Amino acid sequence: MTQQNKDALTIRDLTLDYGSSRAVYDVNLVLKPLELGCLLGPSGCGKSTLLRAIAGFQPLTSGEIWLDGNLLTSPSISVSAERRGVGMMFQDIALFPHLTVYQNIGFGLEDWPESKAQQRIHELLDLIGLQNLGSRYPHELSGGQQQRVALARSMAPKPKLLLLDEPFSGLDTELRGRLASEVRTILKSDGICSLLVTHDQREAFDFADRIAVMSDGCIRQFDTPFNLYHEPTSPFVAHFVGPGETVDAKVNAPRSVASPLGVLTNDTDLGFETGDDVKIFLRPDDLIHDDDSGYTAILIEKHFRGAHHLYQVRLDNGVVLGCFAPSHHDHKIGERIGVSLDIEHLVVFPR
Amino acid sequence: MAVTGKDYLSYFRIFRLNGFLVATFGVALCVALPLCIVLSFLATTSSDVWRHLVDTLLLRYISNTLLLSFCVTIGVVCIGVPAAWIIAFYRFWGRTTLSWLLLLPMAYPAYILAYTYTGVMEYAGPLLTWMRAADMPDWVMMPFLHIRSLPGAALMLSLVLYPYVYLLARAAFLQQSANLMEAGYTLGQGRLSVFRRIVIPMARPAIAAGTLLAIMETVADFGTVQFFGVQTFTTGIMRTYYGFGDTAGAAQLSSVLLGFVAVLIVLERHSRNRIRYYSDQMRQLDQAAKHLTGLSAFGAQVLCTLPILLGFLIPTMLLVNWTVFDAQLQSLWQLAWNSFALAGGSSFLIVGVALLIAYANRLFPTRSLSYMTTFIGLGYALPGVVVAIGILIPFGIFDTWISEQLTSWSVKPQLWLSGTLFAVIFAYLVRFLAVANGNVFSGLSRIRPSIDQSGRLLGLSQTGVLTRIHIPLMQGSVLTAILVCFVDILKELPATLILRPFDFNTLAVRAYELAGQERLIDASPASLCIVLVGLVPVILLNRSIGKL
Repeated sequence: MTQQNKDALTIRDLTLDYGSSRAVYDVNLVLKPLELGCLLGPSGCGKSTLLRAIAGFQPLTSGEIWLDGNLLTSPSISVSAERRGVGMMFQDIALFPHLTVYQNIGFGLEDWPESKAQQRIHELLDLIGLQNLGSRYPHELSGGQQQRVALARSMAPKPKLLLLDEPFSGLDTELRGRLASEVRTILKSDGICSLLVTHDQREAFDFADRIAVMSDGCIRQFDTPFNLYHEPTSPFVAHFVGPGETVDAKVNAPRSVASPLGVLTNDTDLGFETGDDVKIFLRPDDLIHDDDSGYTAILIEKHFRGAHHLYQVRLDNGVVLGCFAPSHHDHKIGERIGVSLDIEHLVVFPR
Repeated sequence: MAVTGKDYLSYFRIFRLNGFLVATFGVALCVALPLCIVLSFLATTSSDVWRHLVDTLLLRYISNTLLLSFCVTIGVVCIGVPAAWIIAFYRFWGRTTLSWLLLLPMAYPAYILAYTYTGVMEYAGPLLTWMRAADMPDWVMMPFLHIRSLPGAALMLSLVLYPYVYLLARAAFLQQSANLMEAGYTLGQGRLSVFRRIVIPMARPAIAAGTLLAIMETVADFGTVQFFGVQTFTTGIMRTYYGFGDTAGAAQLSSVLLGFVAVLIVLERHSRNRIRYYSDQMRQLDQAAKHLTGLSAFGAQVLCTLPILLGFLIPTMLLVNWTVFDAQLQSLWQLAWNSFALAGGSSFLIVGVALLIAYANRLFPTRSLSYMTTFIGLGYALPGVVVAIGILIPFGIFDTWISEQLTSWSVKPQLWLSGTLFAVIFAYLVRFLAVANGNVFSGLSRIRPSIDQSGRLLGLSQTGVLTRIHIPLMQGSVLTAILVCFVDILKELPATLILRPFDFNTLAVRAYELAGQERLIDASPASLCIVLVGLVPVILLNRSIGKL
């Protein structure tokens, strides 16, 4: 019991069926108070189903969900959605079209005393920066404004947990990135524990303290964005959260591997037996373009990313790797350029 | 100077643009004619009859029309909304069948329902004979004895007009995103609160639009109120025209009625606009529906069956029974031929005009064209009596004038326009063009411009696009348009009654005449004909909704 009291959300051994097919299985997840979590995964991985189960719109097959020390749902018990204290922001925004912005935000505050409700609504209007638009109707707002109203509405009754179901997916890329960090700031300042569902890795990084990467109905890794990127525990996670290449290697000591790039050493034990066949995973930022380096490779592909180039280079031994280069180092395809390795931490997977 | 290909093309385009514009403008003028004629009488000095009307009857016409509209509003909302609610939010045995059976009463014109129920309920009719034999107390028999009254008329109208409310409310309920209801739950609201604060307010514009359509039909109704002796505007106009022979008075009454209709149109447009804002959702309700079993399922079935029973099954059984066993009606075939030929010819003409306007709008989408098209759409809201008066007056003037001109050529004076089928068809065009327009426009709008363009890019000529793409794709909606017009014309009573040539009878007119002579049983074959043909578009309508 004590463990549940400390944590905001606890999901234990959860299995969900959608129709006759298994949508989610073996899910264990803990969110601490004030933490912003994220479920990240490709479409169809079960992340939205999991979110709907927490909200109370999806029955459980097995497992338990606890919130603030109270059992919300198990296969036998289910607190109805309206009494869970769980707020939700929907993918299609779902603002009530017949109510003004003000009335939308105040919708869940019907039981509050008039003055307190008013104060809360104004506080939220301030927070989302729409002080002057309280009397507008949803269709009179821009997409981004509607998103913010939807957020304010779901935050208004001070839910113990706020769920966000791909709330930015209908927006254009630029607005999406900005809103994700904006929403993060708002939620942090209001102190609401939240769980975001998204398939967009950048959105997840912008928003969350910790991210659960899901595929095929289960959680592959639950960790900080930094660790997911730099210390992924499976090839799926490694590839899903950012670009990178795998290279075959062989463990030749507890802390080092022999690879086509030479012997690479890690600061800590790799956790493999000497002589194991492994794969090492290298991100483009592990290989740096350096004109002064004596070690060269042939540039075979390049993508201009504005602030930098993402190059694909072929080493002399045929290995192809990604490589970041400063924006103004504009080399031609086929050119031989200098590269150097800059690996802080070795990512090693079994072969 | 040589004409370049480009100049030649633009010359050609302007020429065609004018052709289409002129044609549409002509049609708009046709629709405007009766309207302007009727309104022009507002400015004329009032006659003695008019003063008499204002002193005595006008107040009664106004109060009866308003009271009737009010009662029908209550009737259609009380029948239509619960039925839509049950069909949209619950699942039970027989739901799918009931959901379309609920549309069947649309096949009935209210006056035929009135004739049928009166036939069975009058003093010497089977129902009261049986009740007297069973020694029923007076207060039980009272409502049946007094079916020919304003509440009776309201009941008849409600029974055939509730499907408007049912259809629009059901669509509104079904279109509400499940997410909106779930958003309500996550904000701490229970099922009841979500219904009260989200579902009902969001369906309100649709319910209002359906109710307003029903009220428009109510104020335009002539057959029912005439038969039940309820004095409303339409009966008043007829009486002023035929009884007092006062054209100006009839036109002035018509213009007052038009004012009432104008208010209804404005309200209806307003509701439609709001519906648009309320329905662009994603995930729909289906999974939020609740399954009913046992007693609650039975209750739902009974509630949905009642309107069908009263509005369709019982009257149809009566009509069939009378037609087979009791009715004496000669020349049914002649009547049917008259009706079908007139309705068929007119609906072809009307849909042809609708196609012309639709293509004008597609090829040359100018603002003036779209205004004219909207204006033409108003024809449907004009009560048939008003259209008839508005046509009769100018045609009469024309006939007098032309006869005067022709006397010098020693041609005998006669009715050239009024009292001809031309006048009847003209009235149908004014009144039902909007119906055809609706179907043709929606059919054409489904063929997106990109489809035309890909056709052209794949080597089709402009004509090729028309024959290989548009004609096959438009067939369905053109046929539907013809059919819906056909049935509306078949049911139409007052305009036909006023404008038809002497001794030219249709099914509807004959049923009206026989009912007027209290030969209700003999009216049943003609009535049954109208209802059975009227079923076809109802079934089509249901199929097109099912596809959505």
